[in-house]
Amino acid sequence: MTRLVLSGNYAQSYAARLARVQVISAYPITPQTTIVEQLAKFVSSGELPAQFIKVESEHSALQVCVSAAALGARTYTATSSQGLLLMHELLHWASGMRTPIVMGVVSRSVGPPWSLDADHTDTMSQRDTGWVQIYPESNQEVLDSVLEAFRLAEDLAIRLPVMVAEDAFYLSHTVEPVEVPSQAQVDAFLPPRVPKGTLVPGKATRLGSYVGPADYVRFRREQARAMERVPETLAAIEEDYGRRMGRTYGGLVQEYRTEGADAVLLTMGTASTTARAVVDELRSEGKRVGLARIRVFRPFPAKEVRDLASRVDRLGVMDRSWTFGQMGSAATEVAAAIQSSPRRPRLSSFLAGVGGRDVGTALLREMFRDLLSKEPSGLRWLDMDPPKEVPLHG
Amino acid sequence: MAKLTLPPVELVRSGHSACPGCGPALAMRYLLKGTGERTVVSVPASCWTIIATGYPTTALRLPMIDTPIEATGASISGLRAALDALHMSDVQVVGFAGDGGTVDIGLQSLSGMLERRTDALYVMYDNEAYMNTGIQRSGSTPEGAWTTTTPVEGMARGKGEPKKDIMGIVLAHHPVYAATLNVAYPEDFLRKAQKAASLKGPRFFHVLAPCPPGWKFASDQTVQIGRLATDTGIFPLYEVENGKLRVTRKLGQLKPVRDYIKVQGRFGHLTDAEIDTVEHEVQASWAALLQREARP
Amino acid sequence: MIEIRFHGRGGQGAVIAAELLAQAANLDGKIPQSFAFYGAERRGAPVVSYARIDDRPIRLRTAITAPDIVVVLDPGLVEVAPVMDGLKPGGTLLVNSPLPPERFPTPKPAFVATLDATQIALSHGVGSRTMPIVNTTMLGALSRVSSVVSLSAVQHAIDEHVPARPAENGLAAIEGFHTVRVAELPGLPGGKAPSGPVAPALSSEVPEGPIASMASDVLHTSSWRTLQPVITREKCTRCNFCWKFCPDNAIDLDSEGFPVVRNEHCKGCGLCAVECPPVAIEMVVEGGA
Ligand SMILES: Cc1ncc(C[n+]2csc(CCOP(=O)(O)OP(=O)(O)O)c2C)c(N)n1
Ligand code: SF4
Ligand code: SF4
Ligand SMILES: [Mg+2]
Repeated sequence: MTRLVLSGNYAQSYAARLARVQVISAYPITPQTTIVEQLAKFVSSGELPAQFIKVESEHSALQVCVSAAALGARTYTATSSQGLLLMHELLHWASGMRTPIVMGVVSRSVGPPWSLDADHTDTMSQRDTGWVQIYPESNQEVLDSVLEAFRLAEDLAIRLPVMVAEDAFYLSHTVEPVEVPSQAQVDAFLPPRVPKGTLVPGKATRLGSYVGPADYVRFRREQARAMERVPETLAAIEEDYGRRMGRTYGGLVQEYRTEGADAVLLTMGTASTTARAVVDELRSEGKRVGLARIRVFRPFPAKEVRDLASRVDRLGVMDRSWTFGQMGSAATEVAAAIQSSPRRPRLSSFLAGVGGRDVGTALLREMFRDLLSKEPSGLRWLDMDPPKEVPLHG
Repeated sequence: MAKLTLPPVELVRSGHSACPGCGPALAMRYLLKGTGERTVVSVPASCWTIIATGYPTTALRLPMIDTPIEATGASISGLRAALDALHMSDVQVVGFAGDGGTVDIGLQSLSGMLERRTDALYVMYDNEAYMNTGIQRSGSTPEGAWTTTTPVEGMARGKGEPKKDIMGIVLAHHPVYAATLNVAYPEDFLRKAQKAASLKGPRFFHVLAPCPPGWKFASDQTVQIGRLATDTGIFPLYEVENGKLRVTRKLGQLKPVRDYIKVQGRFGHLTDAEIDTVEHEVQASWAALLQREARP
Repeated sequence: MIEIRFHGRGGQGAVIAAELLAQAANLDGKIPQSFAFYGAERRGAPVVSYARIDDRPIRLRTAITAPDIVVVLDPGLVEVAPVMDGLKPGGTLLVNSPLPPERFPTPKPAFVATLDATQIALSHGVGSRTMPIVNTTMLGALSRVSSVVSLSAVQHAIDEHVPARPAENGLAAIEGFHTVRVAELPGLPGGKAPSGPVAPALSSEVPEGPIASMASDVLHTSSWRTLQPVITREKCTRCNFCWKFCPDNAIDLDSEGFPVVRNEHCKGCGLCAVECPPVAIEMVVEGGA
């Protein structure tokens, strides 16, 4: 284990290298570029003996990974925003073919209007494509999550692709200390991929056939079951990871000071770190508030959310994207999860940090204030005022 | 008894779902006889998705991966990368795509694969329309042909635009080997398939594969019509190795294109004058081809 | 409400038959619905289409499993497709066949009607020998053997909706109306249908993923065929052209190099016959009729 000061993007590249990926394919997009630039260096220098296929689009990048994974290779790609959207059809191919691809996503807003900043619209709009989605909040967690993601994706009971989505700039271009495990430690944690359900040269094996309705529904159900097995499998993987590396992240939902709380805010990604600090402030002011971070959004941690709901009266969910539903996408999932719980807390959906708006302590305090007020807002877009002085662009 | 002119090994099984007399079914059969048992095939959405039969059966004795229609070039790059990474470099990689999946929606992916010099053989089987979706025009449909989206009705006379020159596009990428093939000439087909299999680097085949329902002819005419396509000069057979072009089926006098056009329902509306125009164009392109061959 | 199932072959117009019936029923003042599920069927492969006809709006959007009427457009299909499946007791089976109705015993009591629609259609210049278009002739016959649609409505529908040769199609429909024969049959002992074709059984275990590896040879594409190659050994020079050009690999060479057609896989395309230099192969109508 060595301590390096790394950006979130480099944490992705280092993790992919330590995982001994065999095939990499990617297309550049801001703010993902440094991930693949670093990987190109690793490959060119011989540190990482992988095939790096430089393609003419994200669509092709993911197809390269799908076809390579179909033959049993360990594959990695990374993208962001428009690139992830261009992959849409392939995202379904990857999960439907049960290829254990790991993809780094730098979560960025989607145009138009053009914008490069942190926002979850890209990953949220791909939430229904059959990929596991992990949202780390630190560069350390990015590295650890990528390594866990390979173990999870390749687990024979799972065989699903996994996205590790880091917030643009707040992680991708922020440098901070990261404990980088040794190759021996990673090798012991992550053995070579054991192929199953793959193409075998010389043998009649067809992957992706057309099927009748009776088989189609069985394949979908089987895919759904694999997704249902993720929480338990990931828990076991985390435990092993913790034993070896000394770090864990508390399963699908990580709670903070929720004991005896009147109101709990659910967040994802980097807003969680700041929110934890705000919780401490508010607790010291005597307000009984807590935080729960949704670390894994797919599969959605319904059980954990229901459990939380049975203990608090007010739940707020912060979404960093607007997906044109009735509430933010995470809030909608939370609403669905708690509708069958015996105790249903009042639910608020906060839109904050959209398009890269900074989620500062004042904004988070406002969410808690709203939650604790007599009549909490149901749905609220926060931070809509223009800056006092509009900077001139161009 | 006569010697077999093709290897007896059958890597395409019976029971497949091609229409009776299907040209693309023959194309796969001949191709795999040439590339052999250690081949992995990538097939995008096309008639071949269906021909290969539905789960749990498969018509190939080899691995086959299905892909979206537009992704064949990328898919074969991925297969090659995995085989190299997994130390199975002896395995041949073949992309087997339709004309629509190649000259239209898959052109970018094909260009990418050629440009990054993937060691693989990209085969475009040309039945000159989107057949799997029921005979719609593609960029590879010849001018004047009836399709469901280029009807012959009122003033409309079938497709109004000429066929896209895919060989020209491919050759601009300087592949190590590119050739035109025709299911009606299996020995030439086989020789080119074996040759391609012996080379490394990006390779491309443009295969004429007549389609009875799509071209509107009886299912027993596939080979006859295929031969006419080449012998009239409409679909000449040639190969280009390292930039050098060689015509592989020499023709003295070209047969009249009328012989080819008149036997297909899709051209049933063409007038004598229109056929004459085609005749002139074909003569000119044949002459140009011979000139290119003569170039040192 | 009357529910009808059509059995035909890909390219033969089974879907159009159901649509044309719907158009005709509409002209009769009834409320029709016609539909088909598109699968992977290719030319010649057995296909089905459906229609419902009622006096009131139809409130079902589901498959038809117990039809009142089954119409079989191709005589060969009775052997190879489950045409009798679910036919209601007292229902009607209408088959394109030169044979008398008694030759098509149904599992339950039913009216069976036959006519040689292929002959009728060809005599009016509708379709070709390898692909006769019999749907209009069959609709004419249907208007005779059931009250589901009138002949005049069928004629009108043909006029309005058949793009090629409407007049000839109309005459074929009229001749179909006049030549169809009906018999009331008592049903088979035990009420069992003759066994249909066998599809590969779905495995009951959960698949690992969509990996297919079963050999497609288990699928017998002979059911697609209306013509069959017959090789005259005496004329054969063992040039193996037929072997070379068969798109279905349905020709094996025996130990002496003579071609042998693998009956279960031949689709009857006729390529081998056309390509045979000494003309040793003849295409004959399936079943020798
Ligand atoms: C993105 C996308 N658009 C459209 C289709 C529908 N589609 C399936 S097969 C096909 C026709 C392909 O034509 P071609 O490549 O010429 O092959 P052919 O069917 O003629 O063998 C089309 C358009 C698809 N599968 N995917
Ligand atoms: S439509 Fe044409 S290409 Fe497609 S299976 Fe039929 S004959 Fe072959
Ligand atoms: S008719 Fe001849 S060529 Fe056609 S499938 Fe049968 S055996 Fe093969
Ligand atoms: Mg085509």
